[in-house]
Amino acid sequence: MPLDDLSRLVAEHDAAFDAALADLDALPPAARAPALDALKIGWTGRKSGRIADLMAQLPTLAAADRKAFGQRVNTLKQRVEQALAEREALVAATRRPAGAVDITLPGRAPQLGHRHPLSLVRDEVQAIFTRLGYQVLEGPEIEDDWHNFEALNMHADHPARDMQDTMYLAQPLSARAEPAAPKRPTAAKAGPQALTLLRTHTSAMQIRHMEQHDPPVRLVAIGPVYRRDSLDLTHTPMFHQCEGLVVGPGITLAHLKGTLLAMAESLFGAGTSVRFRPSFFPYTEPSAEVDVRCIRCSGAGCAVCKQTGWLEILGSGMVHPAVFEAVGYDPGAVTGFAFGMGLERVAMLKWDVGDIRLFYENDLRFLEQFSR
Amino acid sequence: MKVLYSWLRDFVDVPDGPAEVGRRLSLRGLALEGVDPAPAGDVPPGAAPVPDDAVLDFDVTANRPDCLSVVGIAREVATVYDLPLEQPSAEARGHLRLAALRQVERDSFGVRLDAPALCPRFAGAAASVRVQASPGWVQRRLHAMGVRPISNVVDITNYVMLELGQPMHAFDQARLAGDTIVVREARPGESIVTLDGKTRTLIPPQLVVADAERAAAVGGVMGGLDSEVSAATTRIVFEAAWWLPSSVRATSRALALKTEASTRFERGADRELQARAVARACALLDVVGAGTPDGTLVDAIAMAHTPVVLRLSHAHVEGLLGMPVPAAEVERILRALGFVVGAGAGAAGWQVTVPSWRPDVARPEDLIEEVGRHHGFEHLPATFPSVHQAPPLSDRRIPRDAAARRTMLALGFSEAISFAFVEESAAAPFAGGAPMVALANPLSETFAVMRPSVLPGVVDAVSHNRRHGRRDVRVFEIATAFRQDGERRSLAAAWTGEAGTDHWSGGRRDVDFFDIKGTAEQVGLGLGSEITLQAAERPYLVPGRAASLHVADRPVGVCGQLAPAVADARGIPRDDVYVLELDLDAVAPAAAGGARRIAPLPRYPAIVRDVSLLVDDALSAAAVRDTIRRAAPATLVSVREFDRYQGRGVPAGKVSVSLRLTFRADDRTLTDDEAAAAVAAVVSAAQRDLGAEQR
Repeated sequence: MPLDDLSRLVAEHDAAFDAALADLDALPPAARAPALDALKIGWTGRKSGRIADLMAQLPTLAAADRKAFGQRVNTLKQRVEQALAEREALVAATRRPAGAVDITLPGRAPQLGHRHPLSLVRDEVQAIFTRLGYQVLEGPEIEDDWHNFEALNMHADHPARDMQDTMYLAQPLSARAEPAAPKRPTAAKAGPQALTLLRTHTSAMQIRHMEQHDPPVRLVAIGPVYRRDSLDLTHTPMFHQCEGLVVGPGITLAHLKGTLLAMAESLFGAGTSVRFRPSFFPYTEPSAEVDVRCIRCSGAGCAVCKQTGWLEILGSGMVHPAVFEAVGYDPGAVTGFAFGMGLERVAMLKWDVGDIRLFYENDLRFLEQFSR
Repeated sequence: MKVLYSWLRDFVDVPDGPAEVGRRLSLRGLALEGVDPAPAGDVPPGAAPVPDDAVLDFDVTANRPDCLSVVGIAREVATVYDLPLEQPSAEARGHLRLAALRQVERDSFGVRLDAPALCPRFAGAAASVRVQASPGWVQRRLHAMGVRPISNVVDITNYVMLELGQPMHAFDQARLAGDTIVVREARPGESIVTLDGKTRTLIPPQLVVADAERAAAVGGVMGGLDSEVSAATTRIVFEAAWWLPSSVRATSRALALKTEASTRFERGADRELQARAVARACALLDVVGAGTPDGTLVDAIAMAHTPVVLRLSHAHVEGLLGMPVPAAEVERILRALGFVVGAGAGAAGWQVTVPSWRPDVARPEDLIEEVGRHHGFEHLPATFPSVHQAPPLSDRRIPRDAAARRTMLALGFSEAISFAFVEESAAAPFAGGAPMVALANPLSETFAVMRPSVLPGVVDAVSHNRRHGRRDVRVFEIATAFRQDGERRSLAAAWTGEAGTDHWSGGRRDVDFFDIKGTAEQVGLGLGSEITLQAAERPYLVPGRAASLHVADRPVGVCGQLAPAVADARGIPRDDVYVLELDLDAVAPAAAGGARRIAPLPRYPAIVRDVSLLVDDALSAAAVRDTIRRAAPATLVSVREFDRYQGRGVPAGKVSVSLRLTFRADDRTLTDDEAAAAVAAVVSAAQRDLGAEQR
């Protein structure tokens, strides 16, 4: 074969190697190993490698040309070996040590359940008041007229007793066995009362407790309550309330303010302030609605607080003397404060939940956003 | 209650604009709902237009009927700003005049009160009128406060109601039979066509204002159509009466008829305003050119009002509020609100006479509220009640439920909360045939009965999540179940889809009976109780995959696979759903707690031996275990299945059971020989009693 043809052949090999190298380099480093092995065998293999094939052409050349051809093939060989060695080093650098694992694979996580946000708020409120020395009570959800209305100074023609607002049982249930007879004479009608309605507030527990215990009283009662409200963004016919009651000699409205401020700071962060606005409830006198500084805008005014800078969170007041009379306490000897707060309202503010109905759909996409 | 700012200014010369007045009243007990632009139009004759006039909308609480009037709100404004309150009077000029009427026993008409307890006072005055449209300023004021102008005479009655809070009525005197107006109880079945054109049938003790023949108005609620003032009317009688709140409330509710008048009367109108209201209406007839009053007043009083007089001590004020309020400030506030305060804040306290427009004030505490809110709740310090004793224990159910909740969360169940009322058909399968607690007035049929079990809620939670594309659902709820004989605290759980941990390294497995069984056992252990199972049948569970749960032979619940028909009825796709319900009150009657002895650690090592037996596959695992326990020496501490195999090499109808036996003695190290002898005894008992073969 003439030397010129062979020279062209070597040049073609040069170009082909460059192309193969470019293909290899295009692969991600961690995936180059098999392609690199193939390249190595294809070019530098002793028997059938392309460089060995070229060298096999040597005997077909005139003796005078052999040296020049040999040098050209050697140059190519050195270039190929060097390039492959460089790539091998690179691949070796990405290879894991023996026994290593791919730490980017997903971990094996045993499934843990998520808390319901109302349950989290409830725990938080319980913890706050336990810390302040309160006992935490629960109570029956089906109530009688005395404990839900009458003893709370909501007499027979009070509008809240309307079928529009309160859900009544189709058939009254016979009175439950009370833990004990009331401790002292109360204003209740003699004998146990039939259970007729779903409690409309946890305030019913105030009465149950005071009937059975002498002052001082320091309690929170937590649980579901029922009102005949249609479902919308801010109403559900069942919701959760936390009721607080403190009774003793010399309890004042200022004590209520200090207590609620402490609660608000625990729930919404230090520096929260509270505001009392006079209001009306049949079972407290004086009565106050309580606002906290808007937790979104810190009072500057925003959509959440409707530009007022304040968020209403609960109703409260000093226990009405008629309530003390109903349970047989002496209104001349003790005073007390009471408050009732919706847990949904607190949860909606804390987590910026815009639709109260989400708390009752039990959608895991919602629940899984809350802690365990 | 909407109130026009410029109308307020008739009575109090407040320096602030409407928005600021509204803001300040909000902090004193009248919550501002909104500020709307005032309608354009005329102002009263001789009055200057008020720039930036506006309509303030207040949420007036049910105890403050006095604030359902311009003067009532003006009184609050005057108290907040410490300004004098003007009132319509005989001496006033312009549109604020009050007519000077001569009181007579009877005039062109007389009044007889036949129901003095329900209507103790009725004031009336007759006038000659020219009925036409009211002047623009009257129409504008009515419009602003949400009342539609009708004619000058009717508008005057509404004007007085809005201004002073006394609802009024005007009768066409020519349409009244006889010359005596009688307030009496309706006759049974007596009917009247009211102003809204509807025929109303009345019964005693509903009240009517009647002429000699028939009812002309439903007392305190609405006038009658027949004696309505019309364009042809030339003579009228104004009525201003006081009606017992409970009577008006009952009538209004019975007739399903709520009016501006009934709203004010049922909350309690001013007990002594009637003559003034009539005098004001008569003056306005003149002011607007609607006619000429006769100048006389028939003021029938069957029962005079006795004002409430209270004793208020300064110490009580400061003691209840927990803040200092100077005595002069107490007096200023009460006087500004219309209370008559006797001199001296000595030990006996002030003698305070309650004004006739404050039916809500009956006790010293009510006065303290007035003082507190006007002195300002913002001055309250934040203090703490002192503690003199350790708090009594909380409800025992709270820590118990928290323990159950922790177990369920750790087992991968998320916490659900559902409505306690459910659809009757959804509840029925879970009621066990017992009558349910149904509601008389549920919000809808989907909330008709109180759940007899907490399961319907978690089943619906599965349904909701499945329908929203979630294949794997684990939820639980701790809540109340309602039965005729009482409320029970129950834990319900539902599980569908993935049983283990979804991971690339291993195949997934769907939940089966043993997952839900294990869940029940774990909750039991968390509450300190060992739960055992017995085969059971429930209409809502798949037969053969259902068990009742027991603690020491006491039934405490149920677990198993939800019947496909029940799942289907709640919209759950064809997947296996396993459910569990535990009556927590039965598992751990809240009396738990107290000390429990912890066993000392074993001093000698245990020996473990595995045994494989080929037994009939109908034989229960419990029977195999029982046989082994009986045959083994006392050193057997546990026996546990670790494999069960059917297939190649195991004859049909048989199963290969592998058991791990652990032996240990308290007083020595067991020898291999002892273990071998024990295993031999176990195997031979199994062969003899169960027909087992050792493999």
